[in-house]
Amino acid sequence: MMKNKKFLALVLASTMVVSLTGCGGDSNKQTTQGSTEPTTSSTTQSTTSTQGGDTSDQEYVYKDAVSVLSANWNPHTYQTVDDGYLLNYIACGFYEPVYNDELHPVEGLEPYAGYKFIPSMAASDPVDVTEKIKAEHPEFGIPESASEGYAYTIDLNQQAQWADGTPINADSYIYSMKELLNPKANNYRATDFYNGEFVIAGAEAYANSGKRKFQINSEDGETMAYALADLVKGEDGTYSTAEGYPVFFGLNENYAWMGGKSLNDYHTSGHISDEVWNVLSEAADAQNYCPVTDDTIAALYQFTGSDTWGNEPQEQLGYYMSVAVSYYPEVDFSSVGLFKSGDYQITIVFSNSLSGFNLYYNLSTPTWLVKEDLYEANKKINGEAYSSTYNSSVETSSSYGPYKLVEFQSDKALRLEKNENWFGYTDGQHTYKDPTDGQVYDMWQSTAIECQVVAESATHKMMFLKGELMTYGLGADDFDTYRNSEYAFATPKTTTFFFIINGYMDAIKNREASSDFDKTKYDLETMTLKSFKQALAVTYDKELFAGTISPSRKGGYGLIGTTYVYNPSTGAKYRDTDQARQVLCDFYSVDTSKFSSLEEAVKSITGFDPEEAKVLYKQAFDEALAAGFITDQDGDGISDQTVRIEYAMSTDPNDFLTKTINYLNEKMKEVTAGTPFDGKIEFVMSANYGNEWSNKLRSGLADTALAGWSGSSMNPFDVIRLYTNGTDQQYDGKWFDASKVDMTLELNGESITMNLRQWSEALLGTTITKDGKDYNFGEAFADVDTRLTILASLEGQILQTYNYIPMLEDASMGLLTQQAYYVVDDFSPLMSRGGIQYLKYNYSESEWAAYVTEQGGELKY
Amino acid sequence: MGKYAVKRILLMLMTLFVITFMCFVLIRMLPLAELPIGDPHSDVIEARREAAGYNKPYLVQFGFFLRNIFTKWDWGVSDVLYFGQEVADIFVSKLPATMVVNLYSIIFSIPIGIILGIFAAIKKNSWIDHTISTLTMVCISVPSFVYAFIIQYFLSYKLGWFPFLMKSGTNFFTWSMFVSMLPAVISLSMGVIAGFTRTTRAELTEVLTSEFMLLARTKGLTRTQATVRHAMKNCMVVVLPSIFGQFISIMSGSLIIEKIFSVPGVGQLYLNSINGRDYPMFTMLVVFYTSVSLAASIVVDISYGFIDPRIRMGSKK
Repeated sequence: MMKNKKFLALVLASTMVVSLTGCGGDSNKQTTQGSTEPTTSSTTQSTTSTQGGDTSDQEYVYKDAVSVLSANWNPHTYQTVDDGYLLNYIACGFYEPVYNDELHPVEGLEPYAGYKFIPSMAASDPVDVTEKIKAEHPEFGIPESASEGYAYTIDLNQQAQWADGTPINADSYIYSMKELLNPKANNYRATDFYNGEFVIAGAEAYANSGKRKFQINSEDGETMAYALADLVKGEDGTYSTAEGYPVFFGLNENYAWMGGKSLNDYHTSGHISDEVWNVLSEAADAQNYCPVTDDTIAALYQFTGSDTWGNEPQEQLGYYMSVAVSYYPEVDFSSVGLFKSGDYQITIVFSNSLSGFNLYYNLSTPTWLVKEDLYEANKKINGEAYSSTYNSSVETSSSYGPYKLVEFQSDKALRLEKNENWFGYTDGQHTYKDPTDGQVYDMWQSTAIECQVVAESATHKMMFLKGELMTYGLGADDFDTYRNSEYAFATPKTTTFFFIINGYMDAIKNREASSDFDKTKYDLETMTLKSFKQALAVTYDKELFAGTISPSRKGGYGLIGTTYVYNPSTGAKYRDTDQARQVLCDFYSVDTSKFSSLEEAVKSITGFDPEEAKVLYKQAFDEALAAGFITDQDGDGISDQTVRIEYAMSTDPNDFLTKTINYLNEKMKEVTAGTPFDGKIEFVMSANYGNEWSNKLRSGLADTALAGWSGSSMNPFDVIRLYTNGTDQQYDGKWFDASKVDMTLELNGESITMNLRQWSEALLGTTITKDGKDYNFGEAFADVDTRLTILASLEGQILQTYNYIPMLEDASMGLLTQQAYYVVDDFSPLMSRGGIQYLKYNYSESEWAAYVTEQGGELKY
Repeated sequence: MGKYAVKRILLMLMTLFVITFMCFVLIRMLPLAELPIGDPHSDVIEARREAAGYNKPYLVQFGFFLRNIFTKWDWGVSDVLYFGQEVADIFVSKLPATMVVNLYSIIFSIPIGIILGIFAAIKKNSWIDHTISTLTMVCISVPSFVYAFIIQYFLSYKLGWFPFLMKSGTNFFTWSMFVSMLPAVISLSMGVIAGFTRTTRAELTEVLTSEFMLLARTKGLTRTQATVRHAMKNCMVVVLPSIFGQFISIMSGSLIIEKIFSVPGVGQLYLNSINGRDYPMFTMLVVFYTSVSLAASIVVDISYGFIDPRIRMGSKK
């Protein structure tokens, strides 16, 4: 009896302990909640604040939600957009785009019709010092012909400081760049400064200083990438390949064809004499790579040409070589085109010309600054590997932007509050004139930003409707309810999603040869026929497709979307030009004579023509039959095989992908009714290929997917290279070689013929020599009309391959809280809607809590 | 018993070493995350992998791994999910939230589950038993995330009794934190309560029909006395080890529940580390949970001896 009582008492005690711990903690609530814990629920916080009276009416909290919270916002190492979230608030760029309101006028533009760059971390506009640097610093390699665009001095904002008051000067920038490019650190963001448009002279050489990437000259012991006889002897006596790659004997290299053994192993086992080994090892570097010279050739041949090694002829020494396919000599930071030219002035030297909009645009992203003392304290060197916990918690972070991090819990929540030491609050530049009431307001009205992880969309929606979050992205199920809401905002995006259609016949034949592929039932080859692809291109009503699977998006018709701006100063869009419109009319066979303008003609395009599709499917059937791809043994005029098109999945089936496949099959069945492919074309989901999905497409191991490119929204000329450059980026690179397709254009009275790749390169500023004449159609060399003509012609040529069938233009739609509104409703590619700095509040936190309660705790949108 | 325990612990350490070695090598044999072709960052990542020793022989890597643990308690640095941060620190920072939520869940579930099981057993074949058994089956059959959404919709959204998500911060023993945890705790508890109810009912039903129970009644004990003194004690031989088993799950967390209620725990770490191919993180998790499972199995085995004096493990007689 006593033991039973003890047991019951234990249960009771446990329950009481739980209750007491809960109650006991309550006494700390008022002191801990505001100071150390970010609030999970803003409603709770607002209610508490109202009751506790510890929040003033001037508190405006931007309540955000993400599915993945930043884990590392070190500007040198962050990798993802999620990680970059915080940098938007705790850092800023040298310049900053703002709306051209009446306080920031731009000549010739109405207020809020464009933008203007204002100095931020810089004190004034950059000064072009190309001529001076060219004369004083020949080591940076500024071309002789260049007189501008290669070097700038930037006067730094002397008011800029870290959140703790530490000043930021030229030394801060130099230290930070030195750490960023530190060759031992292998920082992820280092390449941002030597790839793309923003290329600092010498940055690549320093970041890779002393690094080599070796390629074994013979993987199988039978074939060689480079023969010994083809090597070129340099002035220092070392041999290189004809391309200039240095060549070495890898003493520790394990060769598969030697049973995984190295030369070193054969020396250890006594096969290679000490005499030979001494010559090789003395010439070798710290990594045991021995340069190929006459001496080392003679020494190694002493061994390989001996009886003990089978009297190999000297040319077979090539089997033991390794080629340094990338080779960077050791250099120091002084070779980098970034240096201090005053206590508050830095000079940047570029490897290529950068000016105008693109210069300011590149300098408007958050800088590379890190706070030296914190950075050093959090730097870890473990063996050869560098790592850093800088900017991964409140303690390891420092801000020089408008907000500072005050609370952070990994994978859970963060809170930012205004950084009172930010110069922007007092410099008089960060103000705007409200277009509705004409009053001047300070930017950044939000006094704090709270962001928490909300993984489920359903939870996000409920929290939004309760007033706990500021925005909610509409899902397909929400469209009917909210698309006409006055709080709904559509945001266009740059990506055009296209169907890439497999044309890689070698891969397809291999797949069909597989033992588990039933050739009597299925076929893959037919999809490579142009007539088949043409039929596919007119099988689907693109607007209906978008409306069915993803209502926020719209039909896509060209490779380059409607948001691309070719003239940043006017906001003029590529898709609105006559050249771009004509391309679409040609591709979709629109008789432009029936329309009053090209604009009207383009508006008539639906991309859907079931009658034409039927004709094309019949044509494809005849061609496939003739080619032996399919059979029709019973002579009923219907294919015996089903053309099976595998959709490359990057994830497990979800609502979007299921709807997509179902729609494709359903509409295909409708359109092919009565054709030889009636019920004989099907889309099937592949296995989940994860990140490999795009490589599967490129290698012909999967047949289609909705894919697309995004970015470069202000530079459409840069996008077309992705379809012509022949690198691994090009989806159809295995079956379409843009360097073998010529295009002739009449430009300025001259007929010019180049292949598509050359046209694309010339458009990006590369000089192409053709018939002894140089052509360059880069921004600085050709007028915009000529460039548009080239771009449109290239787009047209790519579309005509039918390897890409444009289907959707990306966009999103969301609701904005009733608590705040955007000062400018209209979306612009550069400014979007102004961001949080242009967000104006209708209610402070306490007012908002009262308003939500007044509405019954659930808001109507 | 002491000798037996020492022997089991030594065997456990040996097993742990073998499992750790196998897991380490197998994990390192897995292909590293593919790098985007044509992306200039790929070279940088490759260089980092080289510096981190991924290209060294597996035995050498394992040697470094053991050396770092034993000399510096260094389990490595996360190279994908929490770039540059110590995996052990990340894990330790997340363990408390998972443990607290699961602990509350078990503390609630044990008394409720056992009491319901006792009622069902005592009232066997009555409407009470049928009701409890049916509810038990429903609770076991329905996945916990279904409860989670129902609870979130009704209790948080419609009634506004609880916040949608667990409160942020690390003061786990405050009232506001406790309240914010309740939706997650309730969601987790449904299945656990049902499990205890079913086990208790099954065991007690069997014990109640034993001959010694008839003997106890004939000796003059009331039904309650016989049940509490004799039946419950025998029933606990099975029930209590299952409680230990539940404690193991305290530390593994619940992927779905933690996600829905934003519990900053370890539930998602496992999956994220596999999906993100964060091998240092994954290796540490594998070793940790293997250790916990092995330790728990010893505790459960030894506990039998304490619960039922008739069981003597390791005895030669």
